[in-house]
Amino acid sequence: MAFISSGYNPDKPMENRITDIGPRKYDEFYPAVIAKNKGKWLYHEILEPGVLVHVSETGDEVYTVRVGGCRLMSVTHIREICEIADKHCDGHIRFTTRNNIEFMVDSKDKLQPLKDDLSSRKFPGGSLKFPIGGTGAGITNIIHTQGWIHCHTPATDASGTVKATMDVLFSDFQDMRLPAHLRVSMACCLNMCGAVHCSDIAILGYHRKPPMLDHEYLDKMCEIPLAIAACPTAAVKPAKIELADGTKVNSVSVNKERCMFCGNCYTMCPSMPLADDVGDGIVLMVGGKVSNRISNPKFSKVVVAFIPNEQPRWPTMTATIKRIVEAYAKDANKYERLGEWAERIGWERFFEKCELEFTHHLIDDFRDPAYYTWRQTSNFKF
Amino acid sequence: MAQAEFMGKTFTIDEDGFIESYEEGKCEEWIQYVKQQEGIDELNDEHRKVINMLQDYYEKNGIAPMVRVLSKVTKFKLKHIYELFPSGPGKGACKMAGLPKPTGCV
Repeated sequence: MAFISSGYNPDKPMENRITDIGPRKYDEFYPAVIAKNKGKWLYHEILEPGVLVHVSETGDEVYTVRVGGCRLMSVTHIREICEIADKHCDGHIRFTTRNNIEFMVDSKDKLQPLKDDLSSRKFPGGSLKFPIGGTGAGITNIIHTQGWIHCHTPATDASGTVKATMDVLFSDFQDMRLPAHLRVSMACCLNMCGAVHCSDIAILGYHRKPPMLDHEYLDKMCEIPLAIAACPTAAVKPAKIELADGTKVNSVSVNKERCMFCGNCYTMCPSMPLADDVGDGIVLMVGGKVSNRISNPKFSKVVVAFIPNEQPRWPTMTATIKRIVEAYAKDANKYERLGEWAERIGWERFFEKCELEFTHHLIDDFRDPAYYTWRQTSNFKF
Repeated sequence: MAQAEFMGKTFTIDEDGFIESYEEGKCEEWIQYVKQQEGIDELNDEHRKVINMLQDYYEKNGIAPMVRVLSKVTKFKLKHIYELFPSGPGKGACKMAGLPKPTGCV
């Protein structure tokens, strides 16, 4: 396409440059009923999965319809969201912290036409464009990352695994049958962008092979001390390497016995790639939460050490997640989050009920704090 | 890796315009080439001071200095470094000094 200037002059880049204006102020985009009743809400109710009503002390009501969003969306899709908002909600919408979309209307008679409209929209492939749900004690959207779409350090895909998982768990998105919220998150490497370290169920991309070293370019591309300092187990050390043509270059060597394949050195140094088609896969973690309700926030814990990448549908991974969800739904008490349930019944029972194999990979061996994760009591169940 | 020609010299650069090898980039032609790319009108002594500091530090330590170290040694506040190099100390100054491209979650 031919170049079309926006008015920016590359010869004088600092001329007419606007900076540090920040985001638009949130209240510019309030629906009228929200602006009017801000700070005056009395109570709310979940009318049905995906539909909430908030009642204000002035008597005003706002009805919210929450629909699933795929997070990675085209402008065409956003335009369609805008079109729905124009038709039903005076042009107002919002996105939630889990990337769902919320349409708000100010009276009950506007609710049914909005819901009917949303439910009627499908992609040509047949999937729902705007599935209503995600409220209460169910499974809402999956917080996820970039994966093979855009990132250079992933060990698995994000959008693909999330679509496969959400398809398997879809009935729980539109239902509220679980004992409490069940948050599922996904990160495609152990940088853990997002919420995997504090979610009820977490999907995490994982490598199983040490980095390959591109000695010819390493010193040119990388600041070697940074690559050394990036290693949590001190497996990387500086080295002089003789190349095939006889030249000596500065580089690093990796002690493979100490490497646990975190990929931090590749983040710092482009000449240490470690992605591998059969080596890479998925780790499942469970039992995290961020709320303070009843028990303190918890980290999620590794319960499945490795599941291979099986694109495009990751059947082993989704089946394992489904099994954990069903065991939790059947066994946990009301209001009990997955982590609270596992801690109450004991992790040995958790593995039994979820039919998961306990392997030595799950035993913490990272530095002094590992000791506190071992059992220093005779309290256990056979 | 693309090639760039400037003032009779050929440089191997990556897609972001950083030079492949520090040794190759340690010359006046490279500085002039980046100056043109980065939209800097005139190189003054302050630009030179920043570039020399970055090169000295890199040769001595093998890494680019942290921003606070750069500020403290050159006595330029971060704001002033941005006035000298509009793209900032990483994308602007380090590129001009011939240092490797900054890595990590940038």
